[in-house]
Amino acid sequence: MPLFKVRGESSGALQSAARRAGLALREDELRRIAEELGRDPTLVEVYAFDAQWSEHCSYKSSRRHLRKLPTSGPTVVLGPGQDSGIVHLGEHAGERYGVVVAHESHNHPSQVVPFEGAATGIGGIVRDVLCMGAEVIGVADPLRFGNVDEADSHQRYVATTVVDGIAAYGNAIGVPNLAGDVFFDEGFNENCLVNVVAFGLVKESQIIHSKAPPGSAGWDVVLVGKATDASGFGGASFSSLALDAEDAEANKGAVQVPDPFLKNVIMRASYRVFEYLRERNITAGFKDLGAGGIMGCTAELCAAGGFGAIVDLDDVSTAQAGLPPFVIAIGETQERLAWVLPPEATPDVLRIYNEEFSLPNVARGACAAVIGAVQTEPRYVMRSGNEVVMDVPIDFLTGTIHDELTYEIEAPRTRDDGEAFLSGFDVAETFERVLAHRDVASREPLYREYDAVVRGTTVLPRGCAAAGVIAPIPGSTLGLAVSVAGNPRYGRCSARYAAEAAVVEAVNRIVCVGARPTGLTDCLNFGNPQRTEHFSQFVAAVDGLAEAASVLQVPFVSGNVSLYNESKGGGAVPASPIVGALGTIDDVSRVVTPAFKRDGAALYYIGRARTAIGGSVVAGVLGVEDRLPPLDLEEQARIVTAMLAAIDDGLIAAAHPVTSGGILTAVAAMGFATLRSRPMGAALDDPSPWCGSESATVEAFFAEGHGIVVEATSEDRFLQTMQEQGAPASRIGEVSARAELHLLSADFQAYARFPLDRLHDAWSAPLREVYG
Amino acid sequence: MKARVAIPVFPGTNSEEETLRILRDVGLDAEIVHWSRGDRLFQYDAFVLPGGFAYEDRVRAGAIAAHDRMMDAVVDAAIGGKLVLGLCNGAQMLLEAGLVPGTGAIRRPTAAFTHNGPDGKFVCRHVFVKLSVAPERSPITAALAPGALIPAWAAHGEGRLAAPPEHLQEIVDGGHLAFVYTHANGSTDADAIPNQSALGAAALVNVEGNVLAIMPHPERDAWTFNHPDSPEGRAARGNAERMLRPSGGAALFESFAKGLALV
Amino acid sequence: MKTRAIEIRLKIPDNAAYTAMAALERLGVAAERVERAEIWVFEVEDDADGLLVEVMRNESLFNPNKHAARELETPSPRAGEVWIEELGDDPDLRARLGGKGVRGVRSAKRYVGWRLLDRQGKPVTKDVAQNAADVLLCNPAIERALL
Repeated sequence: MPLFKVRGESSGALQSAARRAGLALREDELRRIAEELGRDPTLVEVYAFDAQWSEHCSYKSSRRHLRKLPTSGPTVVLGPGQDSGIVHLGEHAGERYGVVVAHESHNHPSQVVPFEGAATGIGGIVRDVLCMGAEVIGVADPLRFGNVDEADSHQRYVATTVVDGIAAYGNAIGVPNLAGDVFFDEGFNENCLVNVVAFGLVKESQIIHSKAPPGSAGWDVVLVGKATDASGFGGASFSSLALDAEDAEANKGAVQVPDPFLKNVIMRASYRVFEYLRERNITAGFKDLGAGGIMGCTAELCAAGGFGAIVDLDDVSTAQAGLPPFVIAIGETQERLAWVLPPEATPDVLRIYNEEFSLPNVARGACAAVIGAVQTEPRYVMRSGNEVVMDVPIDFLTGTIHDELTYEIEAPRTRDDGEAFLSGFDVAETFERVLAHRDVASREPLYREYDAVVRGTTVLPRGCAAAGVIAPIPGSTLGLAVSVAGNPRYGRCSARYAAEAAVVEAVNRIVCVGARPTGLTDCLNFGNPQRTEHFSQFVAAVDGLAEAASVLQVPFVSGNVSLYNESKGGGAVPASPIVGALGTIDDVSRVVTPAFKRDGAALYYIGRARTAIGGSVVAGVLGVEDRLPPLDLEEQARIVTAMLAAIDDGLIAAAHPVTSGGILTAVAAMGFATLRSRPMGAALDDPSPWCGSESATVEAFFAEGHGIVVEATSEDRFLQTMQEQGAPASRIGEVSARAELHLLSADFQAYARFPLDRLHDAWSAPLREVYG
Repeated sequence: MKARVAIPVFPGTNSEEETLRILRDVGLDAEIVHWSRGDRLFQYDAFVLPGGFAYEDRVRAGAIAAHDRMMDAVVDAAIGGKLVLGLCNGAQMLLEAGLVPGTGAIRRPTAAFTHNGPDGKFVCRHVFVKLSVAPERSPITAALAPGALIPAWAAHGEGRLAAPPEHLQEIVDGGHLAFVYTHANGSTDADAIPNQSALGAAALVNVEGNVLAIMPHPERDAWTFNHPDSPEGRAARGNAERMLRPSGGAALFESFAKGLALV
Repeated sequence: MKTRAIEIRLKIPDNAAYTAMAALERLGVAAERVERAEIWVFEVEDDADGLLVEVMRNESLFNPNKHAARELETPSPRAGEVWIEELGDDPDLRARLGGKGVRGVRSAKRYVGWRLLDRQGKPVTKDVAQNAADVLLCNPAIERALL
C-alpha cells in the first residue's frame, strides 16, 4: 500500500506534496496524523483525514460559535447533531408526528457545473431526511445569484441552469418545492449560493438514527444505491477551498452526477424497508453518504454508536474496474446510503432493494450489498485485496478538532427614526420601480419550473403566500408551514443585522399563514474564515441568530456552515446567514391567506413605522444611502404573540409580512392574491399620522420595518388584542372592491391610483426576462 | 361485486399515493400495484395510470413505460372495454401506446404529448379544463355537466399535444378532444394554455370512449384544503371535516366512479 | 455555405442509454450495446474556422466535465446509427442555441443519435436499426428517423 510521506519531510516538501495530491490538509494537521498513527499515513488514510477534517465535515472553526444557538424547547424532538433535526408537528389519531428538516449548501459545485451541482444538492439533502426514517414531503431552495443583466453572461447561465437542475431532480423524485427565494447581487458573480432544505414526516416513535444501535457489534454494514465510480472524488475538500478560475476547471472532476430516477426508486424501496423493520421491531442505523463517501458515512455511523468498523472495499459494487482504493473509499458518487443491520434482517432488506425494487435494473451496477461489519474495537479499518489500506482510531478520525480563529466585534449600523429626507421623490413613480426591482418582482417565472403540488397535500403552494403550507398527514388537517429568509442587502451592511432580520422575517412569514413557529434551520454562507474580516462576519451572524431565536423563543434544530465562498481575486459573498422556519397549523381550515377578503375591512400595519431606509430596495432604486432601521427583537416577539392571539380569535382575515419593497409592496401582494378569483384592492390613507412625520410618505410606504400588514375582521377586538399584547398597530387604510390601490392624501383627495393589473404586469415582467 | 381499480406503479412513478387517496375518497375500491407484482394486473376491472416520470421519461415521456409488461394488461383491458384513465405521465403512456386517440395501431402512436412550448421547460401552473365533448361521449365523463369546468394543476415538461395535420384533424373530427384549457370563467385564449398545446388540448379520449388521457392533474386540486381561497374553501373555514372533503378536481374522479358503475 | 456535424457524447455513464437498451432487449431488438449522443448539424459560413472550439465554448451545449465532442466526417448517420429528429417546431433547440449561440452558424438542427452494437461490438444491420426506431426510438407522429 503506497504511503504518503510525512515523517522526516521538510516543511516545503510536505506542503508541495500536499498541494500536488490535491489535499486541503495543512502541514500541522498532516504531522499530527503521522504522530498519532506512529507512521506515515497510507494514501487512503490521508484522503480520509482530508475529508473528515475539512471544515465541511468537522466544523473545526465554526463549532464553538454554533454552540451559542438555542437548540432546545418543547417543540424539539431531535436537535442538531445527526443528519437532520426533528420538530414536533402535532398529534393525529393518537400518534405524535415530527417534521424532519435538513439544510445544506451546494454552492461551489453549482458555480462550476450548475445543473449537476444544484441537482445533487437536492439529492443530497433529501437523503439526509430519508435516513431518519422519514417520508420526504417537501424541499425549499434559497438561491443567490450574481448580476444577470447580460443575457450572455456566465451569471445568467448559472442562474437559469441551477433552477433547471433543481427542477429536474425535485420534480422527478416527486417532492413538492414548498418555499424558496432568490436575490441577485454582484457579490455572487463568482460564488452563487445554492442552499437546499428538505422536509420529512415521521412518527416520533419510529425515528431511525444515524448511528449504530446499542449492541450492534458484529452487525452488517450494508451499502445501498448507485455503483461507485470516480465522480465526485474530493468533494468535501472541494467545498472548503476558495474558487478561482483555474481551479474551476481542475475541480470539475470533483462534481457528482445525479440520477433522480434511481433516487425515486431508492426512496420508495427505503419506505418499504422502514415498514419491514417496524413490523419486526428491529432497530437499525441508517445514514446518507455525502462528504467523505463510504469512509465518511460508515465511520460516522459507527463512531456515533461508540463502535469501530471494518469495511471491505472489494465488496463495493463499482461502475468500472481498476478504481484505486482511495477513490472507492472517499469518492462522493451520488444516490448512496448505508445501513447498520442485524444479520438476520440483512437478507430480507437486500431482497427488498435488489428484487422487489430491482435496483440493478434501474441503473447499471446499482444494488444493496454487505460491505463490512460493526466492531467493538474503536478502530476504523478498510481492506482492499489482501491488504489493510486504512487502520486508524475511529475517534481520532471523526472526533472534534478545533481551529481557534480570530474575530472582531461588529459595530452597530442602525439609526433611530428621525428626519424624513425623501420628500422630493414621487410615490407613484417610485412604486412601479420598486415593484419591478429584481429583489421584489414576481418569482413565478423561476418557481413555475418546480412541481409545487405533487403528493396532493399542498394547501398554499409556493408563491401563493409568504410561506408554503401543506397538510402532510392523510385524513388530518394538521398543517406544516415552511419559509426561508436572508437578505443580502442587509448582509452588505451588517452580518449581525442580516442574521437577526432573517430569523424575524422567516418567523413572520410562518405567522402570516396562521402557523405557530416551531423550529429554525440555518445555512451560514461566508468567505474565508482565515481572514479576520470574514470570520468576524460569521461570528456576528451566529450571535445575531442566537439572540433573535432566543428572544423569539424558536429553537434551531439543524444547520450547515459553508465557508470559503470567495474567489482568489479576493471577493467574498455578502454575509449570508440564511434561515428556514417551520410552523404548525393545528387545523388548516383556519389557514390565513394573503388575499383581501371583504370590501371595507380595515387594514392595519402591525409594527413600528420606520423612516430609516438603509438596506432597503427603495434606497437602491433611488440611489440614496442611509443607515439600517432599528430592529427591536423584544417588540418583534410581541408582534408574533399578538398575531397568533389575533389569529386564534379569528380577527385576521388576511396577512402579509413587510419585506423587500416595504408596506406598499405588501399591500400590493395582498391585492395580487385576489386576481385569480374576485379582484380586490385597497385605499390607503395619508401615512403622516401613523409614520409620525409630515413629509415622510415615501419612507413610510417603502421602509422595510419588519412588521406585518393585516386585514382585520373586527377592529375593536383586534385593537384590544394588540394592546393587550403590547404590539404597536396603525390603521393604514381599507380593503376596497375596486381592483386598484388608491393612495389618499391628507385631505382625502386621491393623489395616486394604481390599477392592480397594471401593477401586476410591472411586477411580473422582470424575471420573465431572465427565466423565459 | 364492487369493481376493483388498479393504480399501476412503474419505476419512476411519483403520484400513486394521492391518486389512491382520491379514488378511495370517491368510494372506489382501488389499490396500488407495484411493478414487481405486475402479473396481478389482469385481475382488475379498471385502471388509473398515475403521474410521475416512469423510467424518468427516457427516450420520450411515457415511451418505455408504454412498452412495459404492465402495459400489456392495460392494453388488453382497454381493448376489452374496461375504463382506463391516464393522468399526466399516464396520459403520455396512453398516447405512446397508441390507445389514445386510438385511430392507429397499438404502439404505433399518431400523436404525442411532447416538449412544452415555448421553451421546453417544465411548467407547474394552476389551470382550468373544460369538457369539450358531450358528457356521454365517454363513461368517464358521463356524470359531468355539459361544458363542465374542472380545476387542476399542469405540472409537466412534455404536455404539448403535437401530431401531423391529418391526425390533428382526425382528433377534431372524431370527437377526441375531451378537455381544453380555459381560464377560470371558461373562456380560452393563448394565455389559458400553459404549454402551447395544439387545439388547446388538455385531454383526449379514444374512439370507443373508455380510455381518457388527461395531462393536468385534477387529483392535486381534489380536496377542499387544496384550494382554501375558492368558494368551497371559504365556506369550509373553521370546519376541519369539510376541509378534508373532496371537491374541485375530484369531480372527474366522481364521474369516473359513476361511469365504472355503468360499464 | 457548408454542412457540418458535431457529436456531443457523455463521458459519464449514460443512464438513458442503459434504460433504452433494457427496453429494446425486451422488445426483441438484437442490440448488445446502446450508445447515445447529441448531434448538431450546422449550416455554416465557408470560412467558419474552429467550429468545434466554438461549440465547446457554448456552455449551454457543452460541459467539459461530462461531455466529449468531435466533428463527424459526414453529417449523416453511419452504420448501426439512428438519428432522431423532432418534426415541426423544436422549442428546446431555440432555447438552447439562444444565449451565446455559435459564431458562424446560420442554422442548426439537433438530433438524438443512437448507436446500436451487436455482441461482437460491431454496428447492427440497417434492418435491426430500423426496427429499433420503429418499436421505440421514434414516435412517427412527432419525429423522423434517419438511418
